[in-house]
Amino acid sequence: MVNKHDVKKRMRQLAAEYIHEPQREDYVLDDSEMMVHIGPQHPIQPGPFLIDLKVRGETVQKAKLYMGYGHKGMEKLLESLTYLQGIPITDRACYLASLSNNEAYVSSVERLLDIEPPERSQYIRVILQELSRIQSHLLGTGEYATDLGFVTMFLFMIREREYVLSLIEDITGARVTHAFPRFGGVREDLPDGWREKAIDMLHLVNERCDMYRELFSTDRTYRMRTVDIGVLTKEDVIKAGLTGPALRASGIDYDVRKVYPTLTYPDIDFKVQTEKNGDIFDRIMVRIGEIQESCWIIEQALDQMKPGPLFPEELPFGRRTPVMRVPPGEAYVPVEDPRGEIAMYIVSDGTDKPYRVKIRGPAFALMQGLPPMLENVYIADVPAIAASMDSCNSEADR
Amino acid sequence: MRMDGETNSPELILGSLKSQFPDVVSDALIDPRPPYMVCANVDKERIVDVCSYLKDDRQFNRLSGITSVDFLEESKFEVVYMIASYDHSVIVKLKAEVPRDESPSIDTVTTVWWNANWYEREVYEMMGIYFNGHPELTPLVLTDDMIGEYPLRKDYPEYPQTTAKYPYSDDQESVVESEYPLEEKPWPAERYYPE
Repeated sequence: MVNKHDVKKRMRQLAAEYIHEPQREDYVLDDSEMMVHIGPQHPIQPGPFLIDLKVRGETVQKAKLYMGYGHKGMEKLLESLTYLQGIPITDRACYLASLSNNEAYVSSVERLLDIEPPERSQYIRVILQELSRIQSHLLGTGEYATDLGFVTMFLFMIREREYVLSLIEDITGARVTHAFPRFGGVREDLPDGWREKAIDMLHLVNERCDMYRELFSTDRTYRMRTVDIGVLTKEDVIKAGLTGPALRASGIDYDVRKVYPTLTYPDIDFKVQTEKNGDIFDRIMVRIGEIQESCWIIEQALDQMKPGPLFPEELPFGRRTPVMRVPPGEAYVPVEDPRGEIAMYIVSDGTDKPYRVKIRGPAFALMQGLPPMLENVYIADVPAIAASMDSCNSEADR
Repeated sequence: MRMDGETNSPELILGSLKSQFPDVVSDALIDPRPPYMVCANVDKERIVDVCSYLKDDRQFNRLSGITSVDFLEESKFEVVYMIASYDHSVIVKLKAEVPRDESPSIDTVTTVWWNANWYEREVYEMMGIYFNGHPELTPLVLTDDMIGEYPLRKDYPEYPQTTAKYPYSDDQESVVESEYPLEEKPWPAERYYPE
């Protein structure tokens, strides 16, 4: 019988052959150079990761990013849970975009089961997607403003986010991790009087966003720190494979809601927000524009939706059946996350548990694109650039 | 929607893949459900050629992701490439079979798409597939003492081996009880610790 330890030792030997030695430029070479470590725990970071900056004077020469401090083994975990039990796990991939993560997972499984939710459920999901986008952008922009030393903005943003969170809470009963969509529908209908409350609050958020847009574009100190800094050209974003607001700020009108429309997005009229320069300033402007566009989408969805059932008539399983066998096959459905494209590649082998789930998140690409952006900038700009990408370490690690 | 049906539709991409690489591409088909992906199996020796063709001649300038699936019973890995574009809305899913031997390996596509770098590193550390010619094949999220463990492989000890079988039975209740006896839980599974 083969000894397990011998096998492991041999695997390590094989792995060691492929590990590359650090290159010459990774080391500090003379007295004018220095290594600056930011992280893994630092006030500017939303999650734990480590950036090693090799600096000469005040300029960054080379940046290297290490992650994995928040690795949760989520893909392995999903393999050992039934499909229904997987929904709450996907919440935890990124707690700011938990409804988008749910949506990506649930819609992939729906493709495998070959079912489609009825129209009312689809509209409720659209509303939740957009509310999730609004609150994520508000918090992301607020945190970014804190990193620039603009703490008042954070308090403004968190105030608006509170309104939006209370709207989400009225529907799902939770503020951060919702687990609300179900295969073929949603858990609950909209509560009574939600529509009027939502329209009032969305008008308020919309007005405030106009104010913030003006605030950001007229503040002289803020403009000095953000305009033409951390520029990503079209070639850069294509090379790094980015999606989401960071891509659209560079002038590419790629939005999953338009390119691969799911749910009732084809019936809804909205504009893809783009800017031209691709600097920090533009990335924030795209986010503020998207908040306003999302308010508009929700209003349209509320106007268009009609009373109806939440689940299709003929479901191959019960609404709350813990064990549900899914036909063999593969599914991959892209969904627009607040940060970009999220999709879950699910392989089913016909049992009640997925054979393999790969979470393709937008934050992974944003993290990969970050180190080249930090070369040849000042150390003081590093937090602003990193925060303007609004990447989520929790999702990149998974 | 920016689908320009004249030059890039799933049917045209499928046809050009078949005609350009007749010996390399097999089982090519279009997924009947949206987003209407073009799916094909590719010989692993020629993966870089096929990817370069798609990028240079068919505007597939975005690598959406690379992942891998472990088929323990068939004794093979599948490396799956999700290839998309900023210019049109076709997604191509390429699969390359890698035999499940002592050191499974495939050529890197970092020469084609820059952002393949981290996806390949993740596949390497999680599944133990080596990428020939990769510029920095080091673990990305796992710690150093987990090198050579390859946790996403199906024979990793923590993987629970018992699941219910398809097709589903009419009486769900009996299946639930027989497949998941409440008192018998093999947990924690047999563990071993690093030396």
